[in-house]
Amino acid sequence: MKFYSSAILWSAVVAVAFAASPLSAQPVKAKASAIQVEMIHSDEIKLPAEFQISLYENLIRQLEKQGGFEHVYRDGDRRAKDAADLVVLHGTVRGFKAGSERTRRVTTVAGATSVTIHCEFKNADGKVLLEQDVNGKVRFFGGNLRATYDFAKKTARVAHDNFSSSEHKS
Amino acid sequence: MKRRKFLVSIAMTAAFAGLSVCGAKAQQSSKPVTDVIAITGLPGVKDNAKGALTVENGKLHFSYGKKSSEVNAASIEDVVTGEDTQAAVGKTVSNLSMVAPYGSGRFLALFRTKFDTLTLQYRDENGALHGVIFALPTAGAEPIKKELLAQGAHTTVVEERAAATNSSSKEPKQ
Repeated sequence: MKFYSSAILWSAVVAVAFAASPLSAQPVKAKASAIQVEMIHSDEIKLPAEFQISLYENLIRQLEKQGGFEHVYRDGDRRAKDAADLVVLHGTVRGFKAGSERTRRVTTVAGATSVTIHCEFKNADGKVLLEQDVNGKVRFFGGNLRATYDFAKKTARVAHDNFSSSEHKS
Repeated sequence: MKRRKFLVSIAMTAAFAGLSVCGAKAQQSSKPVTDVIAITGLPGVKDNAKGALTVENGKLHFSYGKKSSEVNAASIEDVVTGEDTQAAVGKTVSNLSMVAPYGSGRFLALFRTKFDTLTLQYRDENGALHGVIFALPTAGAEPIKKELLAQGAHTTVVEERAAATNSSSKEPKQ
């Protein structure tokens, strides 16, 4: 009898633990109604100017599309000062492989273009809220600049998953 | 008295000539470059729109179809030129050729044409930074860059070169 009662007790504990685990795994989204995107920095690794601009412009576009923010401000925009719950996105190039569209077309296995950016999401006081390396790639089809589109989509997804204009659990 | 009048008239003529030269310079315009593609970043212009690019009256004009967009040269913080290549055949033909038997279609991928790139960074009236990328026919970017610089735009490339020259000239002294 004692054996049965302890078995039931343990199974109940395990069931509760399993049931609770998916809830605890879900991240709490930080409140952020606006984001300001700084120009991508490439101090150590020399990045072609068109890549730098394409990363920045695609990032702004993707954050406007799927970031979930009420406002997306550009680098230096004076209106961002008045924004409540502002998050500043600071990106630094950590890796870059130029690749070749011709090689990709001819071989299909070589010539991939890849760019890795260290993204820091900071609050208005400069405190880092989230940091993550995000990679953009183009392996098969498309020009080299398509890697910047891939990076922008992934970064917007990271922002969407971690920040929300209203504080809640996803 | 006559000499003074003569000198005054010469001075006035010189001043008038100077003003007219300045006016001519202010209304300077570059030769329009056609077949330009605004790859991304130009406000109000769809990506990959094809049009013509000119620099006149201190502004960079991009006209496509019946529309046009312009950027004030003085607001441009950085203008950089570069070059790239693109497939010589169109996108559709290129994609269709990929399914040709025995990989024969890949042969077409070897043929590529060169083009120039013109990259700008400028600030709008709110201080917000914008980036624009243009693709131009070969040797089309450098004259536009020179004209923009003459009409008030800035570039970091010249400064970098100057800094490199300065550092190299200092090195032998040490």
